[in-house]
Amino acid sequence: MSANSWLATGNFFTKYKQEQRTFLTSLDRSFFTFFLVLLFGWPLLFELSNKYMLVVDNILIAIVAVMGLNLVTGFAGLISIGHAAFVGIGAYTIASFCRTMGDSHIIITHFWPVLIVVSGLVGAVFGAIVGLPALRLKHLYLAIATLSFQMIFEWTIQFMTFFNQGQTIYVGRVFWFTGKVGRKDHYLFWYFVILTIVILLGFGIRNLLKTRYGRSLVAVRDNDRAADAMGMNPGLTKVYAFALAGFFAGIAGALHAYVYRGVGFESFTLHESIGYLAMAIVGGLGTLNGSFWGPVALKFLDLQVETLAETVGQYMPSGMNLATALKPFTFGLVIVLFLIFEPRGIANWWRITKSYTKLWPFRY
Amino acid sequence: MKSKSFLTALLILVVMFAFTASVNAGGKVYKLGMSLAITGPTSDAGNPYAKGTEDYFKFVNETKILGDDTIDCTIRDDQYKTDVTKRNFEEYLDDGIVMYLNYSTGSTLGLKRDFEEEEIAVLSASYHAGNLDDSNYIFLPIASYSDQLVNLAEYVAKNHKGGKAKVALFVHPSAFGRGPVSDVEKAVAAGLNIELVEVVEHGKDLDNTAMLKRLMSKNVQYVISQTIQSPVATMIKDSQRLGLTASSFGEAGKLTFMGAHYTGGNDLIALAGNATENYFWITAFNITSVPGEGTTKQLALAKLFGRDQKAADSHNYAAGIMVAQVATEAIRRAKAAGLEVNKANLYKMLNGMNGANAYSPYTTTGPVTYSKTDRMGVDMLQIYSVQNGVFRAVGEPVESEYMKKIK
Repeated sequence: MSANSWLATGNFFTKYKQEQRTFLTSLDRSFFTFFLVLLFGWPLLFELSNKYMLVVDNILIAIVAVMGLNLVTGFAGLISIGHAAFVGIGAYTIASFCRTMGDSHIIITHFWPVLIVVSGLVGAVFGAIVGLPALRLKHLYLAIATLSFQMIFEWTIQFMTFFNQGQTIYVGRVFWFTGKVGRKDHYLFWYFVILTIVILLGFGIRNLLKTRYGRSLVAVRDNDRAADAMGMNPGLTKVYAFALAGFFAGIAGALHAYVYRGVGFESFTLHESIGYLAMAIVGGLGTLNGSFWGPVALKFLDLQVETLAETVGQYMPSGMNLATALKPFTFGLVIVLFLIFEPRGIANWWRITKSYTKLWPFRY
Repeated sequence: MKSKSFLTALLILVVMFAFTASVNAGGKVYKLGMSLAITGPTSDAGNPYAKGTEDYFKFVNETKILGDDTIDCTIRDDQYKTDVTKRNFEEYLDDGIVMYLNYSTGSTLGLKRDFEEEEIAVLSASYHAGNLDDSNYIFLPIASYSDQLVNLAEYVAKNHKGGKAKVALFVHPSAFGRGPVSDVEKAVAAGLNIELVEVVEHGKDLDNTAMLKRLMSKNVQYVISQTIQSPVATMIKDSQRLGLTASSFGEAGKLTFMGAHYTGGNDLIALAGNATENYFWITAFNITSVPGEGTTKQLALAKLFGRDQKAADSHNYAAGIMVAQVATEAIRRAKAAGLEVNKANLYKMLNGMNGANAYSPYTTTGPVTYSKTDRMGVDMLQIYSVQNGVFRAVGEPVESEYMKKIK
């Protein structure tokens, strides 16, 4: 091991355990700690409007969902185009409690951390069930199976009166130790909650990937027959990859229900599923930090294009038609450009930046 | 030297006075917010609606209807997504709006709790009766979809010759479409003399042959639609192709098509051409093919702000103007009463629009009446039918008899 724990100038590992550490140097750890302090501290120093706080919450929820999608599609190589339906499962788990017990029942308002975990577990169960076809199907055929789940989900929600036929099912305001979380603090409160969940789940994935279970995901993705020959169970691995993705999506769905204080069908459509997939691709499939970059990039792009479309709509004679086309056009273009020029996503830029700064000012 | 200092001081005072004077002369600015689908699904209705609202507020400011005070209404596109609507609404609240104008049924229902908590009056372009359940702050500009469909069903019951009329409902597969179905069923249960044979939730079908044949096999004579224009256009064009469309109201062995507010208008004629002939449509807005004082003003407003003929003729343009008129009137009344123009007082002014204080905008077929127990604006609805390629009024404005019974 390097004598200086702050600035390692090479690999000096003598044990496998050393290589598996989350932070290779003390500098890494310090930077990360500082970054966390910054993330938790900035809203207390700079007051953000409710609109932008909602945007930030929304990005964090998307990060949770995309982390799950990255597990199944990025790490395990199983295409899922029904991810929004899994998110919907989580949201409708909360909605089901609200429908059954009333939206202001103490279980919903006081035991919300438990309900969020329960939603994740329900998502995991559905994920495992939808993952069963993965035992037999691969590639495009598996994608179609997940698409079928999306369709079944949409149909069920839209036609079952229990789910209010897709209309909004309200979720009551939650309580914290300080009392009821009112309208003024609502988005800020959920920012801290979701941020904590993102950090916990992020560490969860990071640690999972160091274990045999995590490595088996990658092994099955690269060559499932070889993985089978090495003693892994590819079928089980695929099913549990789906279950894990379902868990993350379920958590994201529950958070969505609480942040928006209601569950409506239109937040979990096929269009949203494609959006999650796009976020995973743009961020970088098969990378943990890609799950952060993707949602941040696409959600902000969405906002900017909206503003641009409004401006165009105001100043151009046939502006409205152009504005209508601008958003899907930009969305599609970004994905295509990334697939052509940077298939490894923004995560790869991060990797390049990191390796450059590590060696700076010495080139090699 | 002294005189120079004096002149400098005088100059400063003059400049200060000029600035202060201009601020006072500028009057107050009342902020309003509107979120609707200018692009995306249903933008064919949302686009002219937004133009109507925008033009009327410009007109109010330019013609000084509120004196030196002006209305600053920010209009944002939500692409028919509730999540985006919520974001827009939060932004407007941050800006300090005194009234909010919303659009879709989904978002009106989705944000109902927020409206209650903020205690802000909301004028919605969704006429879904369910918007009013457990709500005190949502105001429907005109009678609900339920009123519209029950009114059409009553028209069928009154004018059908022979036994009991067989009716099918053709509805959008959403809260917007399904909303009034139960009220029609209740009206039938309360004695409305029609037989409700089938409720069809349409998909994105490009051909309705099978459905139309099925309805014919069940001896259905009237199809009442609660959806948007494009599915209706597809259906009536198919019916014309199959030779199933009635040439006059209630022709035996044929289908007479009818529909609620968002199914009709000049846009339907543009989409379906002569297949719209004899299509019956109900709304509470004056339309430009039936000229009158109101439509003349509507067309003049569109011309003033350079709108094309399509937008000027749209009943959705009229609907957009109408909500702006109601909001302006509430502000005007608050000012006239010497009250501060804020959320609470505008809510009070809206609730006071009844009896002798009812408000009659030029865009509608009847007056706007609101009270603490009635938050449906224009109760009088007008039935129109397409004759020789244009919508013509059928009789006088009507009010549902059975809606009163089932409420």
